[in-house]
Amino acid sequence: MLDILVSQVANGLVLGFIYVLIAVGLSITFGLLGVINFAHGAFFALGAYVGWQLFQLFGWPAVILAPPIVGLIGMAVEVTIIRRLYGKEPLLSLIVTFALALLIEAIIRYVWGADGKPFNPPAFLAGIVEIGPLLITKYRVAVLVATSATLVALWAFLAWTPYGRILRAGSRDPEMVDLLGINLPRVLTAVFGLGCALAAIAGVLAAPLWTVSPSMAANAVMPAFVVVAIGGLGSLRGAVVAGLAVGVVTSLTIQFKPEAAAASMYALMFAIMLLRPRGLFGERWERFE
Amino acid sequence: MTRHNRSVISRRSVLAGSAGFAVITGAGLTASAQETGPVRIGLIYSKQGPGASIGEYLQRGSELAVEQAGGKVLGRPIELIWLDEPNPQVSQQNMQRLIDENKVVAIVGGNYSSSALAMMSVAAREKIPLILPGAAASEITGKNCNRYTFRTQATVPVQMRGLMPYVAELGKKVYFLTPSYAFGQDILRSSRALLKEVGLIEVGVDEVPLNTADYSSYILKIRQARPDVIIGGLVGGDFSNFLKQWNEMGMKDRIPYAAVAVTDTDFWDVGPQASTGIYIKPWYYNNPKNTETEKKMISDFQKKYNQPPSDKTWSGWIAMRALLECIEATKSTDAKAIVTQLEKWKNTDGEQSFFFRDWDHQMVRPAVIVRVKKQITDKWDYFDFIKNTSGTEEETQNAFGTKEEIGCTMPSL
Repeated sequence: MLDILVSQVANGLVLGFIYVLIAVGLSITFGLLGVINFAHGAFFALGAYVGWQLFQLFGWPAVILAPPIVGLIGMAVEVTIIRRLYGKEPLLSLIVTFALALLIEAIIRYVWGADGKPFNPPAFLAGIVEIGPLLITKYRVAVLVATSATLVALWAFLAWTPYGRILRAGSRDPEMVDLLGINLPRVLTAVFGLGCALAAIAGVLAAPLWTVSPSMAANAVMPAFVVVAIGGLGSLRGAVVAGLAVGVVTSLTIQFKPEAAAASMYALMFAIMLLRPRGLFGERWERFE
Repeated sequence: MTRHNRSVISRRSVLAGSAGFAVITGAGLTASAQETGPVRIGLIYSKQGPGASIGEYLQRGSELAVEQAGGKVLGRPIELIWLDEPNPQVSQQNMQRLIDENKVVAIVGGNYSSSALAMMSVAAREKIPLILPGAAASEITGKNCNRYTFRTQATVPVQMRGLMPYVAELGKKVYFLTPSYAFGQDILRSSRALLKEVGLIEVGVDEVPLNTADYSSYILKIRQARPDVIIGGLVGGDFSNFLKQWNEMGMKDRIPYAAVAVTDTDFWDVGPQASTGIYIKPWYYNNPKNTETEKKMISDFQKKYNQPPSDKTWSGWIAMRALLECIEATKSTDAKAIVTQLEKWKNTDGEQSFFFRDWDHQMVRPAVIVRVKKQITDKWDYFDFIKNTSGTEEETQNAFGTKEEIGCTMPSL
């Protein structure tokens, strides 16, 4: 019994890392822009499709271009649509981004068709790693490594670089940042683009695992919201802890009562929300109180 | 004042008279519009979500049947209205919309047993014929049956009975991996009854919620239980995800997988690398025993879409074909006439005739048993056809069960 438990917990942590990567972009978008981006899952799917298309045209190395491309698309969306949502009530951003999500899914279906696209891990990452009771596929280990690298890079960017400081300041006190002569709108556009690029990285990494189909957005957006709610809006640390928690809880529920597996993350969210409504590491946002 | 009253009365009576005239002529116009306007038929198939590619092929099949009929029935143009099948509640609402707003004469649709059960109640209440091309759960033509609903796909018990001998060849220990809704529960019920007959034992069961993306934890459990064979029932995108991850975790060649009610797109979406298993499905395009009309349908589809049709296309096609043929035969779009005619409808070209059984409206027709090819070289041809689930018409009738076993009692029209 211990064997399988260890195995499931390890598997849950790996699954959790994927959830963390999906959620982190959403957390940043909300934390720095104050916009609830329901289209986050759609950018995740877009990342997977653009990655698939680049792979079809140019082979594996080209896939790395998918996140920047989706980031640019995100920036265009920010300039045209998202910009108008700043400072407005959260419900509006939820409705508009929900509509955007449906639109992007419909565009994906129109361009690439409703069929799934076969997409397998690269040959050098095929196979499994077995250490005692632990069984992880080589590809998932690679996802683990890539996700960790991304998270570290993101944290370093926000904590140490001048741009990161500007982003964090801009979310707390936009007027002051503006008075300091920094072009805030451009900064916000870049932040939204960053959030979308992060979603796209998750999409590219998840594509060989989950079928590449227009509905894959749904598999990403709900866990993302649950993770962000549990971890606290705007908290990177919270997204990591919550993502791993959701992954482990899901795996263990599958072990003991699979029918409840899909609901388990919501039960966890419910419990955390009752005990700590802001989420585990959530911060106070004056604009919402 | 009196003069004023008289003119008001007379104006009123003129208005009343002209209103009455308009109503009479309007009613007359509507009546003639009903006999000469288009015949509207509703389609309820998934347009988005994990069932989207299934819905697309179903719609193509139904559309092809209409095209093959020259786009007309009873000399009137056919208008197809396609609404979504995202979940039972919305499917039910869409069906109501088709009846109230679009004034359809009949509906073809319902791929998921859960939606089908919801839609059937609308069919019975509104007295509109409904032909289900998918939805294999037994209750549909069993204890929940109604006079206005027909179904083309073979029931779960029939499919499981066809699969069991092959499962028995693969080993003794069985692990179940089924979806957590009516269809999956039906698989468990039917299989468990058959397991004892063929001498197999159950070593584990997982009922998976619909729309599960990640199966790694389930695969770990299966590995732990060390079965000889898995009996599955995952549907559409969920099944594709599972196959992908099953292969990724190195299990593809270790434990064989057998399932019912799968469709070609489940495998086309995953690719040859991950495809494996032995399956029951309604129809296969590369089956040498296909009838002449089916072969024509395949070539028409191939011309239009540059690829062969999936079995869902056949299902959408045969349901629409039966409906159109019955409307023509009965020379009317009246619901009761269509229902009575469908109960008499029979397809006679081919080795075995098939038809809708009149006491439960189940299409009595064998399913096909196929196995994924060892080497897949053609982009679309993934399967070897093994045989039909029953060889003669008598065997087929027996496979579908007696009236007592099925438990369907239908009221008069």
